[in-house]
Amino acid sequence: MRLGYGTNGFANHRLDDALRIIADLGYSSVALTLDHHHLDPFGDDLTKQVDHVANLLDRLDLRSVVETGARYLLDPTHKHHPTLVCDEPEGRIDFLVRALRIAAGLGSDAVSFWSGIRPSTVDPETAWRRMRAGVGEVLEAAADVDVPLGLEPEPGMFVEHLSDALRLREELGAPALFGITLDVGHCVAVEPVDAPTCIRRAADLLVNIQLDDMRPGVHEHLEFGEGELDLRATLAALSEIGYTGVAAVELPRHSHAAPVVAARAFSALQTALHHAPAPVTPATGDDHDPEWVSTVDHPWLVEAEQKVRRDPKSVAALFPAVGRKVGRAPLRPETDPQGLVHGTVDDLARTRLLTVLSEVLDSDKDSGKLSEEIAQLYRYGDDAERRGVLRGLSALPAATVPAGVELVKDALRANDIRLVAAAMGDFAAAHLDAHSWRHGVLKCLFVGVPLAAVSELDSRTDDELLRMVGDYAEERRAAGREVPADAVTLLEARP
Amino acid sequence: MRIFDPHIHMTSRTTDDYEAMFSAGVRALVEPAFWLGQPRTSVASFTDYFDSLIGWERFRAAQFGIRHHCTIALNPKEANDPRCREVLDVLPRYLAKDGVVAVGEVGYDSMTPEEDEVFTRQLALAVEHELPALVHTPHRDKLAGTKRTLDVVKESGIDPGRVLVDHLNEPTVGVVHESGSWMGFSIYPDTKMDEIRMVAILREYGTERMIVNSAADWGRSDPLKTYKTGLAMLDAGFTEADVDKVLWQNPVEFYGQSDRLVLDELPGFSSSTETFAGNSVLRGGGNT
Repeated sequence: MRLGYGTNGFANHRLDDALRIIADLGYSSVALTLDHHHLDPFGDDLTKQVDHVANLLDRLDLRSVVETGARYLLDPTHKHHPTLVCDEPEGRIDFLVRALRIAAGLGSDAVSFWSGIRPSTVDPETAWRRMRAGVGEVLEAAADVDVPLGLEPEPGMFVEHLSDALRLREELGAPALFGITLDVGHCVAVEPVDAPTCIRRAADLLVNIQLDDMRPGVHEHLEFGEGELDLRATLAALSEIGYTGVAAVELPRHSHAAPVVAARAFSALQTALHHAPAPVTPATGDDHDPEWVSTVDHPWLVEAEQKVRRDPKSVAALFPAVGRKVGRAPLRPETDPQGLVHGTVDDLARTRLLTVLSEVLDSDKDSGKLSEEIAQLYRYGDDAERRGVLRGLSALPAATVPAGVELVKDALRANDIRLVAAAMGDFAAAHLDAHSWRHGVLKCLFVGVPLAAVSELDSRTDDELLRMVGDYAEERRAAGREVPADAVTLLEARP
Repeated sequence: MRIFDPHIHMTSRTTDDYEAMFSAGVRALVEPAFWLGQPRTSVASFTDYFDSLIGWERFRAAQFGIRHHCTIALNPKEANDPRCREVLDVLPRYLAKDGVVAVGEVGYDSMTPEEDEVFTRQLALAVEHELPALVHTPHRDKLAGTKRTLDVVKESGIDPGRVLVDHLNEPTVGVVHESGSWMGFSIYPDTKMDEIRMVAILREYGTERMIVNSAADWGRSDPLKTYKTGLAMLDAGFTEADVDKVLWQNPVEFYGQSDRLVLDELPGFSSSTETFAGNSVLRGGGNT
């Protein structure tokens, strides 16, 4: 995603100055509103101007989208007139076609547009017909220059909701160049669902994002934090769907203090991105990096954590659902296809839930309750839930250690290798008595769990363990069987 | 031939069975919770059994390349024992689990008032947990039991398309066919149904909503009866597609209504056999 700023929020600046300030603040994209003083689409020297701006964008390394929402560009007396749904939409269509050519000249990602307000004299059927016809015409021009269009649902306008825009797209046969521009503030103001949900709904169709805050029911573009937008969740949703395009701040009524407002917005965005919770996402096949976590966090998990914070009892219902919701893939499939050593994505998600649970119950000064709840989750858990508890134990407060030790011992009595592997992690290394721990290691060799799954193997290995492993190797040899490579390695390291 | 055995009690079977089933083309199965031959006397022996069905047995099946799912319920026979009925209170905890794809086996054994009550309560649990229901029909007084079963299903408000009425035979298939529920047939060496009679029923009623299982357990039974029914169908002139519908697509469609079937192949069991090639259906996981 390329964070940017809209030039309509720099209406009192020369375009060149605005672009330089935006780039200097750290933004990497711009939403360029064509206007009489910003790259005038009707200017005599348009070609020259387009070349000039294209060069400047290139030098400043700014990606761009073209916005067409200027107020008095086409009609000096009537704001936003003409529109696609008025009686004479030709002027608007002509302008959008020009905007597409300019976008092609600038190398922009997309041209953004809206429907306009339906005049009271035009019935909805007629307006819808005009939208279909007008957009159809503009789409032909888009195909000529191969630049996508982004229809922006706009509060108070004819195409007001995301669902309207998606329906129009469907009716026109879902053309590839018909994308969506989404203003996340509008989601707060008028959409029936929140911004992250709208983002997921439009997902692959998004060609442009406008960022701003808003209050429910009020179409007023606000700085971040002044409204009710969950900026963190919104940015997380954009990452989650893999959005890589322009996401530009849209504050058209803040031009009087543009540089200061733009700096504030940038810092709010950085904070929101930086404080996103530790993400949970399945690793991809070619993911060798130990820093496997990307910036993606799983929305279901974030919601589940909030539920546990509000009501710790809800963990009993959320814990079994984790695999269905966030997946079950191993974290390092290349080297650890069964997730025995590094665990799986659901293991990790369950650790997150346990951590939240411990924060809530511990703040109640009631760690007995926490121990009890963990024992219950394990007792009534299936194999995956038990594994999740075992792998999460090391993240829990010290008061839960006695309960945790009992669970680890239970798991080491099982023959499910995934339980045995999960039991021999950091918690066992720190808290399991020497005898049980040695038997745990031997059991790993016995049932085929790689010793890489045993935490602190080197530092906890003692003479007694080596004796036990040595005897085991001897027994294997006596039976004419192969000695596991891990056993050989362990014995050779300490002759 | 790819096979989904929709009713088999693997807890009572050996690893040899798992190997033979995999060779015959079985890639997925459902193990319904039922009684153990020896009556249980407490809730604790139920929960240990359920834990096995959602844990150990699933792990065991995976070692042989077979996806294991289960259904959870208090069975009709033990519904008559007050020491066992308390298990109803812990069922919701299990019905939330990953591998649980239906409420079952529920239904009638001796058609007592206790069985009535427990059957009704568990159908309500199925509705509440958005799970299909697997219904056992009685061994004795079968036709009357099947009719009464269908009445109770109707009263419960559960969609008949989410109900599988099992252990049917020639006298009982007709009423279930009319009701819109799925029809299950257990193919046994010498009781219930056999392959030849099964083929005759498929001829008469077609392959829609038809489900064939081995219902193999600790009694005299054969875990390859699904496979053998497939062969009998081919011998009788049914196509490979018909066999696939009855032995794979139908059970997948029925239990798929739980949104919890996981049918992608297990690590280490690649698509080496034609029967499984091309199938990587994942139902209910969604995000993996």
